[in-house]
Amino acid sequence: MKPSDAGDWPADGPLDETDLQILADIRDLFQDADPMPPDLPERIRFSLALRDLEVEVARLAAEDREMLAVRGPEQTRTITFDSDSLTIMIRIDQNRDGTARVDGWLAPPQRREIELKTAGGALDTASDERGRFAFASVPPGTAQLVVRPAEQGASGSGRSVVTPALIL
Amino acid sequence: MSAAAAGSEEALGQIVTELSPLLWQVARAAGLATGDAEDVLQTVWLRLLSHWDSIRSPSSLTAWLVITTKREAWRVRAAGRRQLPVDQDQFTVLPDEGPGLEEQAIIDDQRRMLWAAIDRLDRRCQELLRIIAFAPRPDYAAVAARLGMRPGSVGPTRGRCLAKLRALLASGPEVSPA
Repeated sequence: MKPSDAGDWPADGPLDETDLQILADIRDLFQDADPMPPDLPERIRFSLALRDLEVEVARLAAEDREMLAVRGPEQTRTITFDSDSLTIMIRIDQNRDGTARVDGWLAPPQRREIELKTAGGALDTASDERGRFAFASVPPGTAQLVVRPAEQGASGSGRSVVTPALIL
Repeated sequence: MSAAAAGSEEALGQIVTELSPLLWQVARAAGLATGDAEDVLQTVWLRLLSHWDSIRSPSSLTAWLVITTKREAWRVRAAGRRQLPVDQDQFTVLPDEGPGLEEQAIIDDQRRMLWAAIDRLDRRCQELLRIIAFAPRPDYAAVAARLGMRPGSVGPTRGRCLAKLRALLASGPEVSPA
């Protein structure tokens, strides 16, 4: 038996209540089978709270976690973000007091103002001429890097480069 | 929407809450692992900040978010950053049967029939219906069009995929040949 499309419910017929009910049932099905993590919208809202209206998005390109047996369960994470104009690499080490140390490199190397947005407020620093920067003590939780536009006259795009929010 | 475009965090936050569940399904239907899907959703919303100029209406906003999520998902898959385990079919649109689905007792017959019927649709229809089911109703047509379906596929008309699904549901469970 082969069901036919041209039966009682033709493809070119108008959507009716039963169609809408079926769609609602499909929604319930996938909602249960594959739910979005409940905290994701909050992380997204955090990452969108920027004073920059024009931003260049740095996408997560690679993430490596390295177990450091010597230091027990503590982990070092290395994360690379790529945007059109910049590559940002960061290394995250856990401090003994529960905070994290973040070391970063910009490529191509350049001096830029850098902000690390955290739930407890913004931390500010700047990269040196080799593109290096560091935040010695970052509270645990959600964090997002914002690389401010290059000084006027430089070859910068004039837009801030932002990463997605990370959990430190 | 105009308040969000003008930089209102509250207005944008409301749109994020409303539409993220839809984009989650788009990313997962494209075969992304959950961690990758989370990254892709963040990237898409951040990209929106620089794309308000190209968006004319709530429907075009939804359609832009859906197609951008799909494209970002392809990009991640092409990079092969975090491959799904090889024993999983990367092109499956239906999620794996998790513990929830193994508890057959709590799934009534109707749901099981719906699941079985969706399973018999072609992949394109599975993906379309999964996505449309999470879209705001006024945006069905714009989303379907942006996904490359024929005009009139879902909304205002029923479209081929829903017609097929209804026929499958009406025909009841079939004994498939071994």
